[in-house]
Amino acid sequence: MTVPNWFTNALETRNPLCATWREKSMADDKDVLRDVWFGRIPTSFTLYQDEITEREAEPFYLLLPRVSYLTLVTDKVKKHFLKVMKTEDVEEIWFEYEGTPLKWHYPIGLLFDLHASNTSLPWSITVHFKNFPERDLLHCPSNYVIEAHFMSSIKEADALKHKSQVINDMQKKDHKQLWMGLQNDKFDQFWAMNRKLMEYPTEEGGFRYIPFRIYLTMSDRPFIQKLFRPISPDGHTHTLGDLLKEMYPMAIANDDEPRRYQVVIHGIEPLLETPLQWLSEHLSHPDNFLHISVIPAPTD
Amino acid sequence: MESWKSHVRACLFQRDCTQQDPFSGVFNTLSKLTERFDLRETFWDEVQRTSFKGDGAMTVDNRALQLQLIESEHITEKLSQTVSDLTTVLYLKDAELQYCHSQVSRFRKEAVTHAREANILQVTLLECEFALENLSKELAVRQLNQQKLSEELAVARREKDEFLERWMEEKKDEAERVNRHNDTQERWYRFTRRLNKHLRREMLRPVEQTNGHAGHVLLGPHPPGDSPT
Repeated sequence: MTVPNWFTNALETRNPLCATWREKSMADDKDVLRDVWFGRIPTSFTLYQDEITEREAEPFYLLLPRVSYLTLVTDKVKKHFLKVMKTEDVEEIWFEYEGTPLKWHYPIGLLFDLHASNTSLPWSITVHFKNFPERDLLHCPSNYVIEAHFMSSIKEADALKHKSQVINDMQKKDHKQLWMGLQNDKFDQFWAMNRKLMEYPTEEGGFRYIPFRIYLTMSDRPFIQKLFRPISPDGHTHTLGDLLKEMYPMAIANDDEPRRYQVVIHGIEPLLETPLQWLSEHLSHPDNFLHISVIPAPTD
Repeated sequence: MESWKSHVRACLFQRDCTQQDPFSGVFNTLSKLTERFDLRETFWDEVQRTSFKGDGAMTVDNRALQLQLIESEHITEKLSQTVSDLTTVLYLKDAELQYCHSQVSRFRKEAVTHAREANILQVTLLECEFALENLSKELAVRQLNQQKLSEELAVARREKDEFLERWMEEKKDEAERVNRHNDTQERWYRFTRRLNKHLRREMLRPVEQTNGHAGHVLLGPHPPGDSPT
């Protein structure tokens, strides 16, 4: 069987219009990845008023990376407040916002979107060194715990996307590269490895299942997580709207009623017609999960 | 670009404009100043410690020079870190370039495969079109035959109707014939009965008159069609 001439000619000469469009599209997508990675939240850390100090503790200001974890990026905060505290008064550090203990194992951006997205900036977090809320938070004695949590999330996500084939094919040093990329805030280092986790066979049109979690502020459930494919059985592309219709239909407002909820990912509200596969590839956190917050819409 | 993608990009830009940009300048400056302050504080502690020990007090110029030296060392350290980071990025970019080449090669192979498949499909399509044309012709011939057969069937049906009509006429005539025959037969029976009656009367009369001619019985004739064979 022969290959058509038009095709070989196109390969040889490369249609400049087509190539330019593709390169531009890829560049645009990479910009999205960069914007997601370098998203920052200006934060002011204040020591809890009942903590015993030798002198008054000044607030500490920091730009927190949205994609990282609180306990991973707050070494300076800890160091700053330890200067004014006695060693015997110091227990495990934990953070709280307006009475809600902040789960360190959730990405920072997700915590902000869930609890403080419609408040004024900088985000004011209270720092505690006593009375650790055992019922609400996991202990985080060292960065190894964060690494273990992060790697377990990545493995879970890859089990959903590729039946764990990609993560199992990686070497120990590749796993380390993913972690070090996140720990040291190195976009290129992280994505050099993470892109392998974002690949899929062209003929399948997407991942096996989309790794996602839907968080509801007004529910006792921590989050919704079910199996959901990026392509419907009849070959149609599933969108964010399709996912919400299936998992939490109340999040989608009818045409004749006012909007009750905001659907937020990385501090933005994507359109409901956005394909889920694209969202998973570009707006997932480094743990490879798409963390979706459903929060009450502001009333004003 | 698709509208949903433009929307995401615009929203991310807007998010950074409202959340990050107004604060990043002042936060970064504060961070740098804090770092510098920590450095100077460490230096000051060191100076205080040495002067308490009486190892020889430094002049103001010496202090200034030493502070400058420490700050330069700090900057050098940061710069070497940046160089190291950039080297790493360079390696990563090189690896990415190789990866891109491999992707290009993969997509090229895929494209060639698709083109071959398309070619096969085109040939199959042509074959199907040819078969369809043949079938269409065959269908036309069969339709013509069917039309002829339909016409013949119509003629046969008409003839059958005619035959049926004729058969009904024949049946009607036959029925009339039978009726006529029955009437004749009835008349014949009636006439025979009357004749018999008359004969019996006539036979009784001579007996009454003569008394010598009794015992003769006359048999009546058979009706038409009932004659013994």
